[in-house]
Amino acid sequence: MLCEKCKKRTATVFYNENINGKVRSFSLCSDCAAKMREKGELQDITSMVGSFADPFSEMQDHFFGSFFGLPALASVRAKACPTCGTTYEELASTGLVGCPDCYKTFEGELESTIGSAQGTTRHKGRVPARDRAKKQLEEKLGELRKKLDRAIETEEYEEAAKLRDEIRALSAGTSHKENGKEAS
Amino acid sequence: MACWYQTSGPSADVVISSRVRIARNLSGYPFSSKLDAAGANEIIEKVGGVLEPAGFRKIHFSGISPLLATSYVERHYVSPDFANKTTPHALFLEEQEGLAVMACEEDHLRIQCILPGLSLNEAYRNAARVEERLDESFDFAYSEKLGYLTHCPTNLGTGMRASVMLFLPALTMGGYMDALAAHLSKIGLTIRGLFGEGSGSAGCMYQISNQVTLGYTEEELLEKLKDAVGQTIEKEQKVRRSITGDALDHLTDKILRSEGILKYAHILSSAEFIKLFADVRLGISLGIVTDISYETLNSLLVETMPATLTLSAEHSPKNATARDMLRAKLVKTKLTPIDPNRKE
Repeated sequence: MLCEKCKKRTATVFYNENINGKVRSFSLCSDCAAKMREKGELQDITSMVGSFADPFSEMQDHFFGSFFGLPALASVRAKACPTCGTTYEELASTGLVGCPDCYKTFEGELESTIGSAQGTTRHKGRVPARDRAKKQLEEKLGELRKKLDRAIETEEYEEAAKLRDEIRALSAGTSHKENGKEAS
Repeated sequence: MACWYQTSGPSADVVISSRVRIARNLSGYPFSSKLDAAGANEIIEKVGGVLEPAGFRKIHFSGISPLLATSYVERHYVSPDFANKTTPHALFLEEQEGLAVMACEEDHLRIQCILPGLSLNEAYRNAARVEERLDESFDFAYSEKLGYLTHCPTNLGTGMRASVMLFLPALTMGGYMDALAAHLSKIGLTIRGLFGEGSGSAGCMYQISNQVTLGYTEEELLEKLKDAVGQTIEKEQKVRRSITGDALDHLTDKILRSEGILKYAHILSSAEFIKLFADVRLGISLGIVTDISYETLNSLLVETMPATLTLSAEHSPKNATARDMLRAKLVKTKLTPIDPNRKE
């Protein structure tokens, strides 16, 4: 079946429209369908594609920024990681760091390239088991501090004093177990 | 029990498979490009010490043929780069759960789970479980600010890449793929065609994955991907349903002809198979093809690939024509019901 517009290519788009009883239908090749769509002659799902939820839109302009494209000074190019010997020049040409310590060595140089590739330079996900307890403690402290602020605001001083003690105990690295239960 | 490509999963009409891959590196070792053979072997040995008792099978890639290595690529257990590496590297495989751990790929560890259909949460849970087991035994390279440290800064943070393999014939035929790709790139996702040259996709199969790995939790990244995939599925289904009247008759004719060729061809190239596969797969979802299952087609997708096909033969096919005949025979056997009254 040929496209009814160009009469050359095979029709792959079969379009049916019914607007208030006015029926139109076309058999088109994808090229002609795209052209009609551009002109606004076809109402279709392209307009709906734009309705995808877009929670990360602030990142959209960062993805295709050139990676490691920064011109570097001779002194920077020669800079090398003390652990693995990777130089900045190597890093810039391969896009790969040599070892975990390179991220410290080249922290300043990498900051903007990481930012442009990832849209941010701050990790938010999973934490290794060894750091998990520490992270949980920090989260807990943050939560308690918020509660403390609220208690002071609402003049619940007794509650505030309790919270302050709890924060002190946690900060000192001793969890609040005296009462026979974890602080909650 | 069957492995991922021998079954089908949720939303099988549109989704072929879901995959989650987590990159990790051991602190105290340089990254792969600076790692010597002794270091690589040491890592493989240590990782094996944790994974082998957990039921993983170790496949040392230095000891296998290039054909078998390629077959692991075709089965989506390893990357092409991994198969072609010349320094020591090994795969740890647990096929029932769809788990594959590449040791000494670009990163020291790539922990992966691949499952049929739309199963991102389950794939993530499985991969994370293996990651936790390894986390108990190893000190992973990690910084509070940048998260898990990876060889390439594009994998920093979570080190997680989640992807869904989709079958989008209606959106492809309708010419909607460019608009979809443009939209996905705006929300931090990428789409690429599979089984085709460049960006095209002969089999109408595409992979959508997260571009960004840093700054969001694993759950947030998965949610975003699931959301976009869910909407893509809906749109694909909607366009499929909109095919009616004459158009549907012509499409039905095309699909049934393709089914006929698949069942009766004597010589079948890889490229031709993929095209016919797409027609028949669409035919199943439209109720036009009734005696072929998604499971059968999914397994053929992998089993007709050159290396996997060659390995399945008793005698290796001598040339391309012999291989194409072997493919045709395999497809015919799987798709044609055996007539009990047939005389041999």
